[in-house]
Amino acid sequence: MFDTVAEKKFLLKELVKKDLTAKYKDSVLGILWSFFNPLLIMLVFTAIFSMLFGRSIENYPVYFLSGRLIYDFYNSATKGAMGSIKRHGNLLKRIYVPKYMFSISAVCYEFVNFLISFVILFGVMIITGAKFYLTSVYAIIPILLLIILIFGVGLILAVCNTYFSDIGYLYNVFTLILMYASALFYPIEIVPVTIQKIFSLNPIYSAISCFREAVVYGVVPDASTLSYLAVFAFTVFFIGILLFSIYDKKLALEI
Amino acid sequence: MSIFDKFRKTNKNSILKDGDKEVAIEVTDLVMEFKITKDKIDTLKEYIIRTIKRNKKEKQKIRILDGISFKVYRGERMGVLGFNGAGKSTLLRIISGIYEPTEGTVKINGKVAPLLAISAGFDKNYTGKNNIFLNGAYLSMDEKYLKEKYDEIVEFSELGEFINYPVKNYSKGMQAKLGFSVATAIKPDILILDEVLGVGDIKFKRKSSAKINEMMKDGVTVLLVSHSIGQIKKICDRCIWIENGKIVMEGEAKKVCEAYVKSSKKK
Repeated sequence: MFDTVAEKKFLLKELVKKDLTAKYKDSVLGILWSFFNPLLIMLVFTAIFSMLFGRSIENYPVYFLSGRLIYDFYNSATKGAMGSIKRHGNLLKRIYVPKYMFSISAVCYEFVNFLISFVILFGVMIITGAKFYLTSVYAIIPILLLIILIFGVGLILAVCNTYFSDIGYLYNVFTLILMYASALFYPIEIVPVTIQKIFSLNPIYSAISCFREAVVYGVVPDASTLSYLAVFAFTVFFIGILLFSIYDKKLALEI
Repeated sequence: MSIFDKFRKTNKNSILKDGDKEVAIEVTDLVMEFKITKDKIDTLKEYIIRTIKRNKKEKQKIRILDGISFKVYRGERMGVLGFNGAGKSTLLRIISGIYEPTEGTVKINGKVAPLLAISAGFDKNYTGKNNIFLNGAYLSMDEKYLKEKYDEIVEFSELGEFINYPVKNYSKGMQAKLGFSVATAIKPDILILDEVLGVGDIKFKRKSSAKINEMMKDGVTVLLVSHSIGQIKKICDRCIWIENGKIVMEGEAKKVCEAYVKSSKKK
């Protein structure tokens, strides 16, 4: 059972396809919605905060959107992975399917959505007359590191969520704090220097600032921030794999 | 991510032999314990409060399987008998890889097709066609193989045009037919059956038992759990009888069946 890569690859493909069709099936609106949501939020934030921060941020809509997309991806992918095992509990009790496949597929599904939302970012960049830089290629690095981080966090949450059903509520609060600590809609300079240092420990902020440097400001992302993100992401990733491999077989008894 | 597969990989030792007969399933000293509490703590809040108050209910261990050992040889048809709650389903789940046993080992030699829950993996909003691929993936078939088999599966399921409709519009019987057709499309070495032979109407029942018979002729190893003595007598060569997590009797199917029926009349 699931000894070859082809079998696992096919399972992954089918699982992602299942989620995508559930969202986009038979509806043009399905795709429109995933454009609308970030776009509307961007408009609201721009209307409110561009007056406040407009002087220090050159192109507010692009500044906001670039951060928001990264944060949204982290937020929805980790939450998707968190519920992935419990959601398929009925199946997992009856058929042997490697459980981590569901967590991986949840992240892949959100990654596809993330890629789709890039269309909005590019659209807004064109409309606002933002410059496109060759350094945008470097954005791949923080995104890859972010994915590794998400896999780690997702696996840890998936295990915890099977044992404790209220983890979801706690995590909601946590991600809200994380959002405010990610300098999505304000320039990091407005917070005191000591707090800035604490913020720079936030890996999501690291990913966002590297992404902005590459795409919005046209510079090569800061190497020390990237290496901090890399160390953080891989550490969490290995903890996630370790925890999951310990609890993998016990989970079937809990769901 | 091979670390996850450690457990299953170790199961796949080189071909197990016992004398001149090849062993398909080898179960050694299998013990399965479930932990149960009167009120289960399933929130972190509760867990922390109880830990501080030192008010955690003690967990009770229940032994479902208690030291079971048996071998099934290649091509053999083994029946499993036992009254309700004897641990048959748990045993099948362990052999299918769903549960990890508390103690003991299960060695499996070959590809397993568990016909335990044939329509468990259906997505109700998906069409029959999409569900064939989804379920095939759950049962560890790869894409190429499934595409080759697709027409055969549709034909066997007798669904015709309905294959393009969502499964939520299917009747129970139609769902079962489709599930059976997908699950048996796999070419397994070992077939695990939990009373699924009674699927669909009389016509389909005949067809499905013909299909299983055909698989048996190809030399597939069968592990069958059933409450139907007639079925076990007809299909199986050998039989084990489980009671209170222990093997009470093991041997020729007819003898075990007779003893089993006798004991049921006593109580």
